[in-house]
Amino acid sequence: MSSFALRIEKEAPASSGSSEASDILNLKDDEGWEDAEPDEEETQFISLMDDEVFTDIMQMLKHCKEKHSFDFLEIRQRLGLDFYGNIKLVNYVRSRVHSGQAIPSDLARSDFDDEKFLKPVLEDDALLFTLDDLPQVPEISQESEHDKGKGVEKNSGALVARITELEESLRRVYSQYDAYRDTVKDILDKKWEDPSTGGPLGTDKEEKRDDDSHYFSSYSYNDIHEVMLKDSVRTDAYRDFIYNNKSLFAGKIVLDVGCGTGILSMFCAKAGAARVIAVDNSAIIDKARENIFNNGFTDKITCLRGKIEEVKLPVDKVDIIVSEWMGYCLLYEAMLDSVIWARDKYLQPNGLMVPSHMNMWVAPVADPDYVSDHIAFWRDVYGFDMKAMQSGIHEDAQVLDMPAATVCAEPYPFLQLSLHTTTVKDLVFKRKWSGKLKKDIDALDGFVIWFDSFFMPSREEVVPEDAKAEEWAASGKKGLAFTTGPGGKVTHWKQGVMLIDNTKDNAASWKEGEQLSGELEYAVPEDNSRALTVGVSWKFKTQEKEGSQIWKMR
Amino acid sequence: MADENMKGMDHAEVHYFNSYNHHGIHEEMLKDEVRTKSYMKAIVDNKHLFKDKIVLDVGCGTSILSMFAVKAGAKHVIGVDMSTIIEKAREIVEVNGMSDKITLLQGKMEEVELPFPKVDIIISEWMGYFLLYESMLDTVLYARDKYLAPNGLIFPDKATIFMAGIEDGEYKDEKIGFWDSVYGFDYSPLKHTALTEPLVDTVEIKAVVTDPKAVLTLDLYTCKVEDLAFSSPFTLDARRDDFIHALIAWFDIDFTACHKPIRFSTGPHTKYTHWKQTVFYLRDVLTVQQGERVIGLLENKPNYKNKRDLDVKISYKLDTDDPTRQAEGCCNYKMC
Repeated sequence: MSSFALRIEKEAPASSGSSEASDILNLKDDEGWEDAEPDEEETQFISLMDDEVFTDIMQMLKHCKEKHSFDFLEIRQRLGLDFYGNIKLVNYVRSRVHSGQAIPSDLARSDFDDEKFLKPVLEDDALLFTLDDLPQVPEISQESEHDKGKGVEKNSGALVARITELEESLRRVYSQYDAYRDTVKDILDKKWEDPSTGGPLGTDKEEKRDDDSHYFSSYSYNDIHEVMLKDSVRTDAYRDFIYNNKSLFAGKIVLDVGCGTGILSMFCAKAGAARVIAVDNSAIIDKARENIFNNGFTDKITCLRGKIEEVKLPVDKVDIIVSEWMGYCLLYEAMLDSVIWARDKYLQPNGLMVPSHMNMWVAPVADPDYVSDHIAFWRDVYGFDMKAMQSGIHEDAQVLDMPAATVCAEPYPFLQLSLHTTTVKDLVFKRKWSGKLKKDIDALDGFVIWFDSFFMPSREEVVPEDAKAEEWAASGKKGLAFTTGPGGKVTHWKQGVMLIDNTKDNAASWKEGEQLSGELEYAVPEDNSRALTVGVSWKFKTQEKEGSQIWKMR
Repeated sequence: MADENMKGMDHAEVHYFNSYNHHGIHEEMLKDEVRTKSYMKAIVDNKHLFKDKIVLDVGCGTSILSMFAVKAGAKHVIGVDMSTIIEKAREIVEVNGMSDKITLLQGKMEEVELPFPKVDIIISEWMGYFLLYESMLDTVLYARDKYLAPNGLIFPDKATIFMAGIEDGEYKDEKIGFWDSVYGFDYSPLKHTALTEPLVDTVEIKAVVTDPKAVLTLDLYTCKVEDLAFSSPFTLDARRDDFIHALIAWFDIDFTACHKPIRFSTGPHTKYTHWKQTVFYLRDVLTVQQGERVIGLLENKPNYKNKRDLDVKISYKLDTDDPTRQAEGCCNYKMC
């Protein structure tokens, strides 16, 4: 027991709303319990001949007979249709009516014998589910006419059989009704739990909570993987490439470097890979193993915990390496070194890297709002000068999702990495870049860096160095691609943003059409091989002095 | 991704921890107006308490509280922080012309040497998520026992944890149900983990189904470090007919020494704070009717292996006459 009194305070509340103050739950729109919709919702039968809707199948058929002289029961009886025949007849009639064609009066079996009439024309056509339960009355009346004068014994035998048949049919109706009731209940239950549809018990939250406002939960073990799996740009791209190219994976040996929860390995196994070797050095691999077991892939996927450079693979060579190794600004804390190592050691000479190409982009940005919110803010904090806090913001690269409108020049493709050939030394580089302002700006606030990821189905495919992922699909090219750039659907990589320190010199304004150019450098600092420094230099054509700055990713 | 050398940390996380000494967290805390303004009022509006006093700021960060204390007339303020942020604090104090009034010391409270044997007032913003997660309360209590003069004051001096039940079907499904099918695969092993992780999140007041109940009150003048492991029974009265998917916890903070007592809350009924609320999903969904009660026990203790982590256990029982809705259970959570 606690040694503290659980007391309720009585003192007057001050400042920001005490939890004990008055009635915090005094809500205006108090939602009460409402009775659920009755379960006995009726099935709707859409007329075979027009748009009228009936709740009773017999009334519907009667309507067709009286209004349109179409006697369904008579036809099925005349043609002696079996279960599938009935279905075909319904769909044949619906498709004719749908396309405005008349039903021949001398309808024959051959008219609708085609297998295509097994496919429902209407979605959830209640008539199709109820065909079994249609009364055989006309049959009986006809039979009884035929049977006239025959022995009473035979007649009673037929009646007994008929009763049995009806009982059977009644039992079917009951069980169908039960299934139907369960479905209705499920749907209602779902509605209750989904306030957006305004279900009777919904809490009517006006809008979905914004995932970004959710605390990043750095302590959460799952969250990391949740964020990545829910990054649908990322995960969909891998899934779509693998599932759309099953022939590439069928019968192949695949290595998944940094497998995490095992999702890519399972995509590959499902696509027909003969064997997948999933390697990760994190404890998450225990969960991957469980996931793989639960999904029945234990015989296909082998999980190995350890560094790729140290684990012993059960094979000498693999046909495909799949990996999601990309980091912020593509190369920060990225495991591309390990992927390249794995490629050189394990990939068959004609093996495939998934993904296969990366195009890296840089663009100048002008974002006065961000600057005032996060830099000017420190000038006056509750009356105190805290400009000292500004300095770091210009020293470190930020990871932000930049609005497309802040990009003030055409992006420049500064580097392509082709995963089949890239070497580790290619990951440190200095490249030229240039651009032309597409609008007037008050100040050049910095640069934004991102990458486009390409998945090509063979080693021979060439991706132009200036290819944009967002234009890839529309261009009809092979493979697929996604962008992590501003304006694209946001990914967990967002973009790398390097802010220029404009606090020392007065920032100059520039006009649309002004040209600027410079160099861009990725380097690894000597004191920390895991860190990354990005250097950019820039100079407007009309400018005398070149600007340059170095940012750390850490 | 799962980088080999990052031991399960993602990029965002690495970035966050590394940027701790820079901006993110300090900016977020300073921009948390409920927090910062409450401290400002409690200090600056009580000059009669601060005039000519020696003040100790435990975990001073950017030194904003120290500067408030100087503004309130303190004779001298000692700010202590382990983080390198103290270098920035020094620059800030300097440009605001308070260097002669504020002494900043980098180091652990237990190790630094204060220029005064005793202080008259301790100010500190020590609260963590769920009040106690990664909080500096133990450090504050240490400073109190070692440095606070008899009859000295503590700002704030009272903290109260509250609980309530919420309807949260949609989001529970999104957070927990997500793992049932991930791109068509069964990911249930991660569902189990998800259920044991309390979520720090903003809860809408409309989602709250029960009256809030205070489950723990800490008096900072008298409480001891041992009291931070506790076991408190609670009773939550349902305010309407609804489902309960989770219990939430938040806290209120009081400055009772003030001329006019000042209090702020981190509950769902009031303004946003960076502490948000802490959500504990229950395994079961409770169906409650107005007037019924959920009775339970909240147990909290530091993890025996890593004392920065918290082990939280919630036992609950729905008190109803309806046999079809009776439910009871017990969930273990880990904040780590």
